[in-house]
Amino acid sequence: MSTPRSQRTRAGTVAANTAGVLFVVVMAFPVYWVLNTAFKPASEVLSFTPSFFPQHPTLDNFRSAIKAPFFLVDLRNGLIITSMAVVGAIVVGFLAALAIARFRFYGRRALIMVILGVQLVPFLSLLIPLYLMLNRANLTNSLIGVTITYLVLILPYTVWMLRGFISAVPRELDEAALVDGCSRWQTFYRIILPLTGPGLVATSIYGFIQAWNEFIIINTLNNPETQNLMAWLLQNQTQRGTAWGPLMAGALITSLPVVVFFLVVQRNITVGLTAGAVKG
Amino acid sequence: MHAVDSPATAPPAPAPTAPSTPDRHRARRRRRPQWTPLFLALPTLVILAGLLAYPLGRMLVLSFQDMTLRHLFTGTTPPWVGFDNYTQILTDGVFWSVVLRTAVFTVVSVAISVALGLAVALLMQRVSSGVRIAMVIAMMFVWAIPQLVSAQIFKWMVDADFGVLNYMIDQIPGVDFANHSWFADSTQGWIVITTLVVWAGIPFLAITLHAGLTQVPQDMREAALVDGASPWQTLRNIILPILRPLLVIVTTLSVIWNFGLFTQVWALRDAKPEQEYQTLATYAFTQAFARNEYSLGSAISVITVLLMLGVMAFYVRQMFQIGDVD
Repeated sequence: MSTPRSQRTRAGTVAANTAGVLFVVVMAFPVYWVLNTAFKPASEVLSFTPSFFPQHPTLDNFRSAIKAPFFLVDLRNGLIITSMAVVGAIVVGFLAALAIARFRFYGRRALIMVILGVQLVPFLSLLIPLYLMLNRANLTNSLIGVTITYLVLILPYTVWMLRGFISAVPRELDEAALVDGCSRWQTFYRIILPLTGPGLVATSIYGFIQAWNEFIIINTLNNPETQNLMAWLLQNQTQRGTAWGPLMAGALITSLPVVVFFLVVQRNITVGLTAGAVKG
Repeated sequence: MHAVDSPATAPPAPAPTAPSTPDRHRARRRRRPQWTPLFLALPTLVILAGLLAYPLGRMLVLSFQDMTLRHLFTGTTPPWVGFDNYTQILTDGVFWSVVLRTAVFTVVSVAISVALGLAVALLMQRVSSGVRIAMVIAMMFVWAIPQLVSAQIFKWMVDADFGVLNYMIDQIPGVDFANHSWFADSTQGWIVITTLVVWAGIPFLAITLHAGLTQVPQDMREAALVDGASPWQTLRNIILPILRPLLVIVTTLSVIWNFGLFTQVWALRDAKPEQEYQTLATYAFTQAFARNEYSLGSAISVITVLLMLGVMAFYVRQMFQIGDVD
């Protein structure tokens, strides 16, 4: 009995490993294909027999992407809009998260429900009234209008994630500080804030990714001079047709900060969405 | 797993109305900060009310009016038309075909994604650690790629003339796929869209479910094996019941996300989806911003939100039931 089973297990592991490697190849292939395309010269990109390695690797595509109209402007816009929205959401959201995590008050449950619920409303459906409001306030074609919109977009999740980080700081620490004569403000400043530091970083990065990846709101509200790189990518795809080399190079540049940041904070992202369902 | 879900281990907070110590000082201090939390939550409440609740109300109002470009420029109040917009939409065959298409896509894509995600999670437990690390790394990259970028990658890979997919299929003897257009036939086009959505969705599902699988006690599985349970029986009677709460949550989230499908269609169809590629989200957007029918677009959005309301309420309830929220 024991020999056939261990043989079966070994055969099973080999089969599983084969399936696993196959899975990696299928998942990674599109990622590889962007890299491959971005470093190929135009003649190799538009070839009826695509090569699986760049025969003559070149940086031409990156150069022409950066030189394309509005690339640098939209890069700057994206950085400004994203960082302003994230800072705003963190400051505002931290206070609300503190209220939810550290106080029991009337309406607390309702507030949690709203914060969980609004994350699920398709934001796109709010675009029509938002467009009309911002248009009336002369905030279309400006960085301010989208910044405010993005702040609202990332605020609920920011509150929700920070709530988790603050709850993780043991309440006894607050109480000990209070007993030792700290004021509430000092408790916040000396205990909670330093201990939630990593959480603040993770939440900011997640907000950054959300705001950086958005393109349809900004594409609707603003013209190319006041858009971000994602909207730039969409316009380059739809307007210049088949310039796939520079487009893939642009996509690579645009994704790079997001991919790097994402890899840093991935663990926190899943947990926020499924809080409590996984305990490890 | 991480700080975020450790609140479960935090001691239960004493109820504010019944302080654990009879000390009068403490009792007073506990009652007084009632205003502090409201003060702290105030900025968030103001922002959510002004920029989420108000637009939602505006959208509702707009759906009962007839807003045109003229009203947009002059700022005059559009005329009230009662339920005209809704009547027009609900009696329109095109709208119902869009609803049906969105629903079918949601069911099919979620079923495939969750089944594959679970399969990959189970596979991750069987492979040797080197392969598992490779799987996680590949999935992390896929997960990290912005939606628009992944859609553009797929658009490039299925390009009729220079796409790598046609080239690879064409290599199969006896098959001619040169210059094959994947979007001429909408069934094939939707296969591409579904593949993209499933491919992009697997990392979240597989990694979350794999984390959940670590909760299944190893001795329980060994006991099942000793008792002669087949792998299928172990899955059905031991693993799935333990995984259930997590499966419910990730399925609900997938339904909500996939029902709102927009980006992938938008990018794959060059920001002008044909009739057979419209989903509820793209349809509402096209009505509003391509045809300037802001009121019709609003009415479609209202209907979309209403259709999803049940699923959203279910998700929020699940999050409360699992605990941790309080």
